[in-house]
Amino acid sequence: MEIGVLRRDGRTDPFFDGTAAGRLVVRRCEACDRWFAPDASGCPGCGEEDLGWAEASGAATLVTWTILPKEPPAFLALVELAEGPWLHARLDGVERADLREGLALRAAFEHPDEGESYVLFRPWTERGSVR
Amino acid sequence: MGTSIVGLGMTELGRVYGRSPRRLAADAVRLAAADAGLALGDLDGLLVSHGMSGSPGIELADTLGLRDLRLLALVNSYGATAGAMVSYAAMAVLNGSATTVACVFADAPLKPKQSAGSAYNRDAPAGKAEWYGFGGMTAALGLRSVNSHYALAAQRHMARYGTTSEQLGAIAVATRRWAAGNPLAQLREPITIEDHQRSRWVSEPLHLLDCCLVSNGAVAVIVTSADRARDLARPPVHLWGWGQGHPGHRKERGSDFGLATGAAASGAAAMKMAGVTAADVDVCELYDCYTYTVLVTLEDYGFCAKGEGGAFAASGALGPGGSLPTNTGGGQLSAYYMWGMTPLSEAVIQARGDGGRRQAPSTDVILVSGNGGILDHHSTLVVSPHAKGA
Repeated sequence: MEIGVLRRDGRTDPFFDGTAAGRLVVRRCEACDRWFAPDASGCPGCGEEDLGWAEASGAATLVTWTILPKEPPAFLALVELAEGPWLHARLDGVERADLREGLALRAAFEHPDEGESYVLFRPWTERGSVR
Repeated sequence: MGTSIVGLGMTELGRVYGRSPRRLAADAVRLAAADAGLALGDLDGLLVSHGMSGSPGIELADTLGLRDLRLLALVNSYGATAGAMVSYAAMAVLNGSATTVACVFADAPLKPKQSAGSAYNRDAPAGKAEWYGFGGMTAALGLRSVNSHYALAAQRHMARYGTTSEQLGAIAVATRRWAAGNPLAQLREPITIEDHQRSRWVSEPLHLLDCCLVSNGAVAVIVTSADRARDLARPPVHLWGWGQGHPGHRKERGSDFGLATGAAASGAAAMKMAGVTAADVDVCELYDCYTYTVLVTLEDYGFCAKGEGGAFAASGALGPGGSLPTNTGGGQLSAYYMWGMTPLSEAVIQARGDGGRRQAPSTDVILVSGNGGILDHHSTLVVSPHAKGA
């Protein structure tokens, strides 16, 4: 299943500036020391509406997944960043047998010829990417 | 003083074309009023709910020529709306702000020559596979369908509790067995677990036979006082209790998304108001947008322990002859998809004893659920053929 062409729209600019540079940039509330997904619209803790952007480590674990019956199959997931927030994500370099709760993942950045760079998540061990 | 559902109106349901959602809604209200033995002019309240079509709104009152209403509102809690509307209608009747309230849902997402699934998918604009915004990014990566979001929820339950696809299949099979007795059901051919397993993947772990239908049509009910209900045309269906649960699942560490739902809070509130427990429930009419939704709802209502929903479904409890008849009309999986009006309409039919070949053996206490969003919203009603406390 091909990944569509991504375009920035103002609101997503800091995120795509990050992916272009190989950095996973998400939302963060400094006052509450809480991290949020990049599409978060505010901090439910303190009500702050103007959340800042901050670079996450890129480390994540697998929460749950679904497989679309495409050729090749598309592995879609909810992943939990080491900082806490969940992201809807596409997995790369995985097979059905790899999939389990808590599987260690790492952000990987793709730079297509057309459109914005995006992030995929790949299995990861201390020694580096599994595949 | 109590409240009752006294009228049920259902248009043709399914691949019904040529009528707008507003027209379908108006037809359902007229049918419900006629069913109750009421004139349209007897209505002094109207609550309106729409599906994917985004219509009708409160202009439906004008379409119906309703004047001097005391209550008129568009209600939207997604799939939890039907139960919510009925509870708001009952509260209005109880506090005297209205006497006779119609609650209606209409939708017409199906178009001729278009697949049912596409009505709920997020597709790129034709000929232009470009995506904008964070939602667009998620879609571009492949997450374009409600099916995939529920697949994520179901997979989490399976990984955590060992729930299997065959156990989900048992729900599909039981529901289809009930549908065989419902002339209004869109799908009545029997199916087996093997059929379920062989049906194509929609979004793994969900097979096609784990997913509900998509239907055009409208359903309306009318709520009034139990006192007034006695003099109307059909046996009243008494409202014993109601509840809602909106868990606001956090999308972060510690969330129980997929494992537990708003049914826990909603069901407890409704059963407490009704003065019953799960052990008293004779029939369940549950929002079954997916087989998995039935499973997790049964757990959260307390019909079995958390994580035991798969084994409970596989035990045969839910089908004809089982200990907990569930979705006796074929539900959304096999009969028709009118959001929360699917379980509610079947509850009214069963409480009246109008189930024909599919009539459940005992209907003293019927539990009705609604579920909206991606397990974000839940409503519950407890209804009975008997007046509360009688």
